Amino acid sequence: MTHWYDFLISGNFLALLGAALAVIFAGLGSAKGVGLVGEAAAGVVTEDPGKFGQALLLQALPGTQGIYGLLTAFVILNKIGIVGGTPVELTSLQGALLFAAAMPIAIVGYFSAIAQARAAAAGVGIIAKRPQELAKAITFAAMVETYAVLALLGSILMVFGIKL
Amino acid sequence: MAIVKMNKLSFIGLSDDKDLIIRELMNLGVVDITDISHIADEDEWKGMVKKFKGGDELLQIESDIQKIKSAIDYLQPYDKRKKTLFKMKRSLEYDEYTSAVNESALIWDVVHKIDEYESQLSLMRSEENKLSNQIAALNPWKPLLIPLELASTETTVITAGVVPASLDSKSLVDDLSSNVPESHIDIINSDKDQLYVLVIYYKKLEEEVQNVLKRHGFSKISFKGMSGTAEDIIKKLESQILSISKKRVEIKNSIEALADKKDILEVYYDHLTIERDRLAIVDRMLKTDRVFILEGWFPAEYGDKIEKTLKSKFDCIMEIRKPEEDEETPVLLDNPRLVQPFEAITEMYSLPNSKEVDPNTLMAPFYFIFFGMMVSDAGYGLLMSIITGILLIKYKFEGLLDKLLRLLFLGGISTFIWGALFGGWFGDIVSAVTSGRYSIPPLWFNPMNNPMKLLICSLILGAIHLFVAMGIQGYKKIKEGKILDAIFDTGFWYIFLIGLGLLLLGGTAGTIGKYMAITGAVLLVLTQGRSEKNIIKKFTKGVLSLYDAVGFMSDVLSYSRLLALGLATGVIASVINAMGTLIGFNPLGIIVLIIVFIVGHVFNLVINALGAYVHASRLQYVEFFGKFFEGGGKAYKPFKVNTKYININNGRIQ
Repeated sequence: MTHWYDFLISGNFLALLGAALAVIFAGLGSAKGVGLVGEAAAGVVTEDPGKFGQALLLQALPGTQGIYGLLTAFVILNKIGIVGGTPVELTSLQGALLFAAAMPIAIVGYFSAIAQARAAAAGVGIIAKRPQELAKAITFAAMVETYAVLALLGSILMVFGIKL
Repeated sequence: MAIVKMNKLSFIGLSDDKDLIIRELMNLGVVDITDISHIADEDEWKGMVKKFKGGDELLQIESDIQKIKSAIDYLQPYDKRKKTLFKMKRSLEYDEYTSAVNESALIWDVVHKIDEYESQLSLMRSEENKLSNQIAALNPWKPLLIPLELASTETTVITAGVVPASLDSKSLVDDLSSNVPESHIDIINSDKDQLYVLVIYYKKLEEEVQNVLKRHGFSKISFKGMSGTAEDIIKKLESQILSISKKRVEIKNSIEALADKKDILEVYYDHLTIERDRLAIVDRMLKTDRVFILEGWFPAEYGDKIEKTLKSKFDCIMEIRKPEEDEETPVLLDNPRLVQPFEAITEMYSLPNSKEVDPNTLMAPFYFIFFGMMVSDAGYGLLMSIITGILLIKYKFEGLLDKLLRLLFLGGISTFIWGALFGGWFGDIVSAVTSGRYSIPPLWFNPMNNPMKLLICSLILGAIHLFVAMGIQGYKKIKEGKILDAIFDTGFWYIFLIGLGLLLLGGTAGTIGKYMAITGAVLLVLTQGRSEKNIIKKFTKGVLSLYDAVGFMSDVLSYSRLLALGLATGVIASVINAMGTLIGFNPLGIIVLIIVFIVGHVFNLVINALGAYVHASRLQYVEFFGKFFEGGGKAYKPFKVNTKYININNGRIQ
């Protein structure tokens, strides 16, 4: 007997849900983060428009999580053949595995983007007073990014590792 | 890997020769003059030597520089010559320079004229604002056809004014005509805020009329000093504005005529900054009644030249000596041309101090490899190298910008090599465009198919990087004479860690590894607690030190970003290619394809090059420099001719 809620345990649905969440949460985090740094950056640029380039560099830093999310989604879609290939019919277990694989970048991406944005926004304060110390401001933000990179790596390795 | 050896110059010359000597030092351009003025405040020197007091001359020259600068900035938009993307310094012969500098009367004339024009323009701007405000105020009264100065006749009063628009206009009219029949009210105009009304009434009924008007929130408007109808006045004001804008065009033309003087202003600006530098450097020196004293550092190789030049020309006492054991000197790096670009990365962290090893030569190859691995696309690499290569050939850059461009050029080469190894040419562009019929095979392997292999490669590279850092740490200890420390803290760790690494491989190597690791561990347990006195503490500290292996592991894992970012470039590039080829190969599809490819790949290149720069730097700063680098060096800044706009050929200024 089939029920209307059967799709919830369909493998393809679970895999797509994972891909969607990777894009959604990592993207949300990046959007929040880039916005947060942008606000701080705009303040500095009001004082000194010449610092636009440096401020923009810092603003771009928390934007990478969104890209990592999309990347993971793409790897999943590629794996199940929705992009570039013939769609594969997944078992519930395979779908659930792919869903699990998407979680690291979805969750860590969201939180690390915001944490990184805080560090970058504080970095904007550095360039306001000492523009020559831009590299140090970037390094502080990049320390946070490490964990997004690790989450991405985790997600990708899991997706690659799942046998279909 | 070299920090240039510096020697110290101590010099005493006659005050009468001071200006000439300072000129000579500036032309030599190699001595970094130390600020010793604080010595005058020390008790043992008090009364013997004095500070130079910053004179009015310096203030005067500073303000002159500001004036010239603002004149140059003001002329900038009027300079109609073709502008190049990057502004380069002009080259000048020395006599061109002096003839320009001798034109100071003309130069100041230009500056004053520009000042004059500028203030005229700003006056005109405020006049114009005033006029347009008046026009805006009069506009609602345009339909009123009687002259505005008309305020009364023999028996009536004529009043203009406004009431809030929220009011029902009819009630005002009715109210007035019922209470004071001997009056007339006209609604001249209305907008969303106000009604513009004209009231005419019998003189004797002033009070009654005012009462009604007050109830309705009427406020009087006076047209003091205006004559004629509103329309006439507006016309007059408009013609005034017109004549102002005509005059403005005239003034702008006169400014434009001065634009060709910008070059000479620039020369004069540089001339003044050179003068300023000469005056300002004196603050770092000391004087007595008859002599002045200066100290400074210079690269040792120039010692003879400095001695010969100064001694032959002036009566003076000078001493040149090597730095003492604990003396910090300014730092100048001297690296091969290939390594120089990487100095930019190190300098952004910190300049090495004068007593340590310059890490640039050792970090350069790793930065090169890491950067390329993280972008790893042959197409992107070519693009980066070609663009930066053209810029570098076409323009002559200086300082940090030059280093960064050369860094990107080298990074492009590395990116190209890794891209070719991994088979990334703008992602999978060839197979995307030919629908998979052709593809460029990787020279080594495709990381998408075998990410574990690349992960292991990344970690091995990381381990090598860390080993080099530990090696430098050991080398430093040997240099300090602590050979045992070097063996215990670096050598034993090498044995232990290499053993652990071999153990992972398994087989015969694994067996060797097992024994190496055990030997290393035992040696470490025995030696790491050597600073403790108590035997038990010695032992526990030794055992606990093995825990540092965990730190080493986490450092190594940090290099997994090499894989992650490399994959990211490739995957995003293939997303772009997939999107570009979505519509297919009809005319519309090809246009879409070209646009998507250009925008997408440029975006991907920029984002990934930024990521690679950031993360390659981080690996150097945190994992590599963290192990041994002290930093904190002060940059060597010689006293020399510093210009903004011009270069004087052969650089000597008399």
